[in-house]
Amino acid sequence: MYLLRGVMGAQSAGPQPSGAETVQKLCDRVASSTLLDDRRDAVRALKSLSRKYRLEVGSQAMEHLVNVLQTDRSDVEIIGYALDTLHNIMSNEMDEPDDSEEENSQSQTDDLGSQFTEIFIKQQENITLLLSYLEEFDFQVRWPGVKLVTTLLKQQGPAVQQIILVSPMGVSRLMDLLADSREVIRNDGLLLLQQLTKGNAAIQKIVAFENAFERLLDIITDEGNSDGGIVVEDCLILLQYLLKNNNSNQNFFKEGSYIQRMKPWFEVGDDNTGWSAQKVTNLHLMLQLVRVLVSPMNPPGATSSCQKSMFQCGLLQQLCTILMATGVPADILTETINTVSEVIRGCQINQDYFASVNAPSNPPRPAIVVLLMSMVNERQPFVLRCAVLYCFQCFLYRNQKGQGEIVATLLPSTIDANAVSAGQLLCGGLFSVDSLSNWCAAVALAHALQGNATQKEQLLRVQLATSIGNPPVSLLQQCTNILSQGDKINRRGSKIQTRVGLLMLLCTWLSNCPIAVTHFLHNPSNVPFLTAQISENLGEEEQLVQGLCALLLGICIYNNDNSLENYTKEKLKQLIEKRIGKENFTEKLSFIPKHELYSKAAQKPQPNFSSPDHMMFDHEFTKLVKELEVVIIKAIYKSTEEDKKEEEVKKTLEHHDNIVTHYKNVIREQDLQIEELKQQVMALNSQNEQFQVTVTQQLSQIQQHKDQYNLLKIKQGKDNQLHSSHVEGAQINGIQSEEMIRLREEIEELRKEQDILQGQLAEKDGLIANLKSAQPEVRTERSPPEGVPADGSSENAMELYKELEALRSQIQAQSLEINGLQTERQELLHKIETVTAASALASGDSTAVAASKVAELEERLVASLKETNSLKDEVKTLSEEKSALKQQVDSSNSTAAISQNENKKLEQMLADSKKEQDDLLILLADQDQKLTALKNKLKELGEPVEDEDDLESGDQGDDDVESGDQGDEDDEKEELEED
Amino acid sequence: MAYAYLFKYIIIGDTGVGKSCLLLQFTDKRFQPVHDLTIGVEFGARMITIDGKQIKLQIWDTAGQESFRSITRSYYRGAAGALLVYDITRRDTFNHLTTWLEDARQHSNSNMVIMLIGNKSDLESRREVKKEEGEAFAREHGLIFMETSAKTASNVEEAFINTAKEIYEKIQEGVFDINNEANGIKIGPQHAATNASLSGNQGGHTSGGCC
Ligand SMILES: Nc1nc2c(ncn2[C@@H]2O[C@H](COP(=O)(O)OP(=O)(O)OP(=O)(O)O)[C@@H](O)[C@H]2O)c(=O)[nH]1
Ligand SMILES: [Mg+2]
Repeated sequence: MYLLRGVMGAQSAGPQPSGAETVQKLCDRVASSTLLDDRRDAVRALKSLSRKYRLEVGSQAMEHLVNVLQTDRSDVEIIGYALDTLHNIMSNEMDEPDDSEEENSQSQTDDLGSQFTEIFIKQQENITLLLSYLEEFDFQVRWPGVKLVTTLLKQQGPAVQQIILVSPMGVSRLMDLLADSREVIRNDGLLLLQQLTKGNAAIQKIVAFENAFERLLDIITDEGNSDGGIVVEDCLILLQYLLKNNNSNQNFFKEGSYIQRMKPWFEVGDDNTGWSAQKVTNLHLMLQLVRVLVSPMNPPGATSSCQKSMFQCGLLQQLCTILMATGVPADILTETINTVSEVIRGCQINQDYFASVNAPSNPPRPAIVVLLMSMVNERQPFVLRCAVLYCFQCFLYRNQKGQGEIVATLLPSTIDANAVSAGQLLCGGLFSVDSLSNWCAAVALAHALQGNATQKEQLLRVQLATSIGNPPVSLLQQCTNILSQGDKINRRGSKIQTRVGLLMLLCTWLSNCPIAVTHFLHNPSNVPFLTAQISENLGEEEQLVQGLCALLLGICIYNNDNSLENYTKEKLKQLIEKRIGKENFTEKLSFIPKHELYSKAAQKPQPNFSSPDHMMFDHEFTKLVKELEVVIIKAIYKSTEEDKKEEEVKKTLEHHDNIVTHYKNVIREQDLQIEELKQQVMALNSQNEQFQVTVTQQLSQIQQHKDQYNLLKIKQGKDNQLHSSHVEGAQINGIQSEEMIRLREEIEELRKEQDILQGQLAEKDGLIANLKSAQPEVRTERSPPEGVPADGSSENAMELYKELEALRSQIQAQSLEINGLQTERQELLHKIETVTAASALASGDSTAVAASKVAELEERLVASLKETNSLKDEVKTLSEEKSALKQQVDSSNSTAAISQNENKKLEQMLADSKKEQDDLLILLADQDQKLTALKNKLKELGEPVEDEDDLESGDQGDDDVESGDQGDEDDEKEELEED
Repeated sequence: MAYAYLFKYIIIGDTGVGKSCLLLQFTDKRFQPVHDLTIGVEFGARMITIDGKQIKLQIWDTAGQESFRSITRSYYRGAAGALLVYDITRRDTFNHLTTWLEDARQHSNSNMVIMLIGNKSDLESRREVKKEEGEAFAREHGLIFMETSAKTASNVEEAFINTAKEIYEKIQEGVFDINNEANGIKIGPQHAATNASLSGNQGGHTSGGCC
């Protein structure tokens, strides 16, 4: 140790060595010293020399520094120095601005960093090594590590990206930097990720997969959105890298509902004065990020779904608020207009919303009008005017409704004289002395006509009042009037611009609109003007105008319906041949797409011009040129015969088209009809189902009636079975069931009563028998009826016996009668028989008339049979009606009424039967009375029987209670015992 | 759309087995007959319902080609579910399953649910791998198994949904740490509010997004 220090000390004491020598010595020390402290000192020394002697340190020390990284992992200090040194030699950023010595080598240093980086990354493991240091938490290591990797990416982006991409979890580890609580590391981590993701879709996707959107949006929110500092800016730049031209990530962003999180970015207050430069930058990036998601260059589906969510979450509304707010810096306003443009472009709901936005002026004016005012206002900044034009174009893009509304503001019938309208502003711009306004208004108007034949025709109706006293001139005429003045027009700005603008408008207007062509040709000066323009040999300046004139003439041929005799297709073609020459015409036409400004405009929809002079072509117009160029040349070169043939083909095609259209209409109508019929069928089906149910119910009712009738027929005497069938019937027939149940209960009661009576009768029988047998012994036990002496001879007993016999038979007869009555009652119940003789029966002397009663009952049974027959007929008609009902069920509601009537009838019958039931009950009551009388008689004969009865029932009741009590007592006892 | 949970899936397997078609069928209910080689990865998403809960599936369809292997490996770690797909008409795609499985097990978190899928079940006449073989492989390696057809859509819904059910069950059992987003699971905004005290990471999650 001492020895080593001595050596070093001796060296430093010698003559001042050169930079290279010093670096070499330090490198040796790093390489050979076994002492960590020593190596650390040497690396620190290298670090301090690494700026001044960048070349030397870079070329000599790199290898040793890598070695340190590999071997001295445990010492954060030496690793930190090594990383810093590497960073210094590879970074081109001059951290010391006062380093004037280096000035001459400035350009050389740019290369140095890149070259050293190239050498460093040749060993892929070096990157892997660095990545592993980024996982080191120590600030001294992590921070220089982040800076070094960032620098490597800056110097050799694609190569380093590729290495990181293939190293396991490389990208994921770098993502962890965003989670570092030390702001310096998080912020530098953002810069690293920017470099990492720049231009590499695969890495962009992995970073997004690692929840970058969530993290970045969180940071932006935490930092206060646009009020945040440079961190917000860095986050926004990274977001842009991740999303721009990356459909997969855009889809992920949208699906992750992150668009909603952008809305608060644009919630700027009312006071928009004094925005900081950072806020302006942040907002600018925020707006650009919105545009990335809805760029017209994205796949159509992707853009439209983002547009929809921007409306749904209120982002568009927020942007429109900024649009109409005061005090917003001009460049933010411009970018907001551009952003709104792309959010609404081709998206009907958004366009409709935009049309409804009003400026908070008094009275409120539509935003569109306010914007157009700026477009035709010379004092507004050029970029702002371009933005407004773009916005207007986007509003009208694929928006037939909007186009109609704009054109309508120019039509005599719908014009509103009191308010400034879009149409007025456009006409004003079209004919103002400012060429830029002319151009913008012409293009804007052309967009109101784009692909919309109706509006092209409508616009022909527009008349302009030129000066007092002169008749009004049509808009079309006014345009050609100005054109015909050539470059003699008086304009501020480029006259070519004005003429190009008007020609683009006319070309758009006339294309695919034969009526407009006819209108144009109707003015006899127009064609001569065009041929003169095209055929003249003019300077380069005029070439573009010549080309556009050729295009216009071509359209006049291509979309000519031959309705003007002087200007038929054929005649115009001859004119070209004679006056211009086909070759010449074609050449002039080709000037348009050859123009340098043409290709620029063809690239994207946004009118984006570096200077007002470059404002020549409109994007949509370039599409039209592409479409028409070929067909016009074909049309010019085609012979008359070919033309005719084509005409024929066209006609047949048109005819076919008509047929197809006709059939399409037919199909559409039939579709509607089918839809209607389907609904009808559905309604009828459900009705049918309902009816089916009713029919089934009624059928089953009918069946019941039938069954009952059959039963009745078979079993006149067998009441029990009849009764049970009735019970079944009652169960099936839901409508009558309640009553049936009640009746059944009553019957049951009556039955019980009868049973009791029969029991009593039997007892009495038994009693009589007893009496009979006991007679020899007991003679005066009972007092004899009708004055017969209680005590007496066997004669007396015999008499008594006879009397008893008579009574017994009487009782038997009565019990028979009761049975008969019961049967009768059942029949009456079921068959709805009119009982007329009931009262008579009730009053008759039961004993005497028992037989006749039976006969009577039989008669009545016959009557009831008859009635049943008629009922059966009724039932038949009913069932016929039902089957008719079933057939008619689809179309007829009246059948329902009929069936309801039937139901009512049935109900009526039921009511009748109820009444009969009541009558029967009266009858039964009478019978009861009679029975009571009989009982009394019996009592007179044998009271004990009755008493015995009472006693028995009483005993039973007591027994029950007693046994219950007993049980309870037992339980209690058990409980007590257990206790 | 508000969701209760968000699951991240990856789809892996040899090139041409029909991974992209499965995803397209699941998200767009379409079939793409031409093989459109996937470059790197492509993203797709759909909402499903399990147990009455809305679950958002975010699916990364990876490229099967060997040259993209290192890229696709980056997606294993953050995924909660993987669909490992082979083609029943190409035995080699079945033979490569072991390699795929090793790769997946090595780079993913251990709880990742893997669903083995034998695709192109509509091509019965050209079948080279028996259904029983697929079942046996799945049983042996503890995977769920299904045969699907991205063309006829047979079992496609089921494959994605059953995988989600398995993950959902694991969550119920407490196997997954739902507060660690690296597991490929995220709790929906309305649930996050109740779990905010648990997650406690700088409060970033509670802000913003309404759905
Ligand atoms: N008959 C049939 N063909 C299918 C089915 N699924 C996919 N294909 C076809 O198989 C080919 C490959 O499908 P892809 O989904 O592109 O394959 P991939 O797995 O995504 O391939 P890479 O992207 O290269 O990994 C395509 O031609 C599909 O039409 C299927 O279920 N039945
Ligand atoms: Mg694919």
